[in-house]
Amino acid sequence: MVGENTLSNRMLKLWVPLALYAAFLLFPFAWMLIVSLKPDELLLDTRLNPFAIVNPTLANYRRLIFESPFPRWILNTLVVTLGATVISLACSILIGYALGRFRFRGGNTIGVLIFLLYLVPPTLLFIPLSQIVSNFGLYNQYAALILTYPTFLIPFASWLLMGYFRTISRELEDAALVDGATRIQAMWRVVLPLALPGVLSAAIFCFTLGWNEFLYALVFMGSGEMKTVPVGVVSDFIRADVHFWGLLMAAGIAGSVPVAIAYAFLVDNYVSGLTAGATKG
Amino acid sequence: MTDPRVTRLLDEATKLRLSRRSILRRGTALGLSAAAVSPILAATGKAAPARAPFSIRQERSLNILQATYFVPEGQEAFTRLATDWGGQNNVSVTTDYVAWPDLQPRIAAAVEGGAGADVIEMWDTWPYLYQENMVPVQELAETVGERYGGYYEWVPLTAAVDGQWYSVPHGSSSVAYAYRISLLEEAGLADPKNNFPKTYEELFAVGKTLKEMGKPLGQALGQSLGDPPAFAYAYMWSYGAMEREEDGTTIAFNKPEFVEGMNTFIQAWGDAYDETGLSWDDGANNRAFLSDQISATINGSSIYLAAQGAAEGASTLDYEVQVDPADIWHAAYPAGPAGQFCQLGSRSHAAMSYSANQEAAVEFLDHFYQEDVFIPWLEAQKGYLIPMAPGYAENEMYTGDPTLAPYPAVSSYARNKGYAGPADQKAAEASARYIVVNAFAQAVQNGDAQAAIEQAASQLERVYGG
Amino acid sequence: MSVVPASVKPKPAVAALDVPRGRSRWWDREAPLAYLFMVPGALLLILFMAYPFGLGIYLSLTDKMVGFADFDFIGLENYQYLLRDRVFHQTVVNTFVYGFVTVPFKLVLGLGLALVLNQRFRLSSAIRAGLLLPWIVPTAISSLAWLMLFDPVLSPISWVLREWGLITQNVNFLGDRVNAMASLCLANVWRGIPFFAISILAGLQAVPQELHEAAALDGASSWQRFRSVTLPTIRTIVVIATLFSIIWTFADFQLIYVLTKGGPANGTHVFGTYAYQTMGYSALGQAASVALSMFPFLAIFAALLLRQLRSED
Repeated sequence: MVGENTLSNRMLKLWVPLALYAAFLLFPFAWMLIVSLKPDELLLDTRLNPFAIVNPTLANYRRLIFESPFPRWILNTLVVTLGATVISLACSILIGYALGRFRFRGGNTIGVLIFLLYLVPPTLLFIPLSQIVSNFGLYNQYAALILTYPTFLIPFASWLLMGYFRTISRELEDAALVDGATRIQAMWRVVLPLALPGVLSAAIFCFTLGWNEFLYALVFMGSGEMKTVPVGVVSDFIRADVHFWGLLMAAGIAGSVPVAIAYAFLVDNYVSGLTAGATKG
Repeated sequence: MTDPRVTRLLDEATKLRLSRRSILRRGTALGLSAAAVSPILAATGKAAPARAPFSIRQERSLNILQATYFVPEGQEAFTRLATDWGGQNNVSVTTDYVAWPDLQPRIAAAVEGGAGADVIEMWDTWPYLYQENMVPVQELAETVGERYGGYYEWVPLTAAVDGQWYSVPHGSSSVAYAYRISLLEEAGLADPKNNFPKTYEELFAVGKTLKEMGKPLGQALGQSLGDPPAFAYAYMWSYGAMEREEDGTTIAFNKPEFVEGMNTFIQAWGDAYDETGLSWDDGANNRAFLSDQISATINGSSIYLAAQGAAEGASTLDYEVQVDPADIWHAAYPAGPAGQFCQLGSRSHAAMSYSANQEAAVEFLDHFYQEDVFIPWLEAQKGYLIPMAPGYAENEMYTGDPTLAPYPAVSSYARNKGYAGPADQKAAEASARYIVVNAFAQAVQNGDAQAAIEQAASQLERVYGG
Repeated sequence: MSVVPASVKPKPAVAALDVPRGRSRWWDREAPLAYLFMVPGALLLILFMAYPFGLGIYLSLTDKMVGFADFDFIGLENYQYLLRDRVFHQTVVNTFVYGFVTVPFKLVLGLGLALVLNQRFRLSSAIRAGLLLPWIVPTAISSLAWLMLFDPVLSPISWVLREWGLITQNVNFLGDRVNAMASLCLANVWRGIPFFAISILAGLQAVPQELHEAAALDGASSWQRFRSVTLPTIRTIVVIATLFSIIWTFADFQLIYVLTKGGPANGTHVFGTYAYQTMGYSALGQAASVALSMFPFLAIFAALLLRQLRSED
């Protein structure tokens, strides 16, 4: 960091804003945690302080993990999301690279076309897509989602990656070409490592968008054991007009904290690794 | 099928992949009756016309899709009875349950994609929406109706399509006023168990006192498909208005007596109701009631059953519930100047025509509605689904707990969405657009009954008119 | 990089554009390689998107009902219907309010968070991941958490405000048109900040540190350094992130569906919820026209923002 590293400066630039952000971003999450640790009976009692956890219980988590298909939903979601993320990322790196760094005829047009595809919302698309899914015989199989999620992941990730590739200075790549590397080598060895933060963040976004997706998961794969976390939770823990808040919130927490931990490593890697790396470049 | 015209039409329909409408048109041209055409319709299930649905298969399978049950024991009972049947008949049966508002996108994708569950639970107005994709089950539905003493009037009006059955009904969850005995007593009502207000005016008067006590009436008026229309349609009918006349296209919504009724309601909304109700969905009034904020609300029996559950849970927690289930009672809807009404629609089961397992689907439905299967299934749901016919209305599950008696009783004063027309696609549109509900929401928001009703009437005009 | 002030310009690097381009091996030429790179993604998109996309546009010109095989081409009738549909007018207004209120907040707060997180500090990785949580928790579930936070009876927010003596009655979060829209915006901003923060944080890693240091030595204030060094580098990313955020916000569905379903009295309908509601009575053609009505608006934003990107080249 540049500048005076005094304590007050640090407070002003780091800890105070961080605390404010945390208060806003984590408040609903803290509420979910509180609810998940309470018996549902106490939740509706206005005589109590809503933040106080009288009679804390892990019963919701126990029911979630041992007495509901939640672990299976996690597995399903993981398979689908990882599959879709890998496919989307592979396609998007190539497209983003071509759009971001190559000059070729029709490049802009293709970029805009891919973008336009993104503008039709899933609330409409799921009907015609269902015909394709069933024509390929994919209904209620992992492939139904692994292959349809990229339709909304690729346009997004391609554009984002294009943006990241453009932030890498062109000179480095050209220097490699002068040194006799092929274009693919230059891309693989020079540009991609430098764009790693971008690639990782695109991966995070793809994974999360897939992890959260509801409508396609509901209509293309929601049968039997094949539910994803959002679909399963909403189907099983809301009964007519009664919400099982404890279970719902426990599922929200159990379904996101492991992902957050995984992200912690990814983000940490690129932030610390590359602030060091960038100075070399 | 000895009639050569029938054979010919079936042949044409299969080869040319005729749509339902075309088959019907062709059938009329050939001089065939609707009854003669219906087996052809069944045999040429539209979404997958090329498949021969009745061909012999070694491995039969059946996937059944229903709404998530309110009473979990009912859901377990259904899974069990379905898999048992599968075991006996060499069919591999799977069951799926999704939150009921999520059924519709599932059905839409299934009928357009031609793949999905083989048997699907339908809610009212849906048979009209998906009739081309459901296997006609005229005979089965009629047999089931006779078996249980003949359907109540509201059942065929909401589950059949202009008298034709494409699905077999099984009753409905219903609504009544849930209220707190002690609070109404405190508000000056003698013997509240037997004395719940019989008219809306009386209800609003008691409500005024209740609100002064800090325990107003509660009514959901948000955009939600359960409790808000349960109130709005009933009140509209009770004050002499309807969506449309019997001819199906003339709007009968903007009636002076209804405008007057709406003015009464606007006044009552401020005086007697919890005004946050404008945002309430189907679950919000449950929460408000169970957290001791309101004294009465329209709801299914879920509030009462949840209070019982909470009291049981509380006993293990060394903790006293805020609302004692013994303090909860139920009553029929009050009446207005035009009478007493409520809105009710039957749910039903359909075998889907895109399915390759139609035969198994219909066989299963036949089995499911047998007395020794159907009645225990209803019992497992503790009477949550009210009877569709008198044959089992006296069953212990409906008479055992006097607290719940008003629920099955709604049968006697129920009307369908879209009344005085049928619960058809137009009625589904008016309901999905929340036109009637929003007339109330607008009125209490802006305080102008006439304008809110006129605006809703013009929207209804666009839906139903010509 | 283009817009760096002269005082901090790095020593001229290899003369970029003089690199030999006309190599004989085809895979070393840009154009063929570029097309080759497009193939896998394009295949997938064409296979799964081209048909639904085209069909979606076509259906908006028909009276197609879900589940009915017969339908007619009716030209622009669905769109004409929308022009006269008061609820649709309200939907357009709501969507613009929703988008124009939330996107700037998300952008500014997300950018701020990225800058804060880009410092070195203890427990940074845990804190970074923790602040991502709003984006990770499945919206289907986090929307339900907001439903409780906005509940007229149970809202802990109301409880706190009451305890502090700021209000006497619980806040009517969702029961009033203005409040409901504000509440939805709040929840939407909450959910959207991490997306901006993380995408910009990743972009910040490409900001050349030596430029920063040189500028600091030249006495540039942190605001000047931000404008002249940081911003040019991350500009592309910021523009792209904004673009996608606008699209997501315009097409938002789940949050609003769980919290208000477009109520009270259609006061919070946006394109996504209104199109979905139309599907409730099977009017697929009409639903398609609602959804596609977004298209021109989004295309305009896209064009404006894309021009921003071009001007950089």
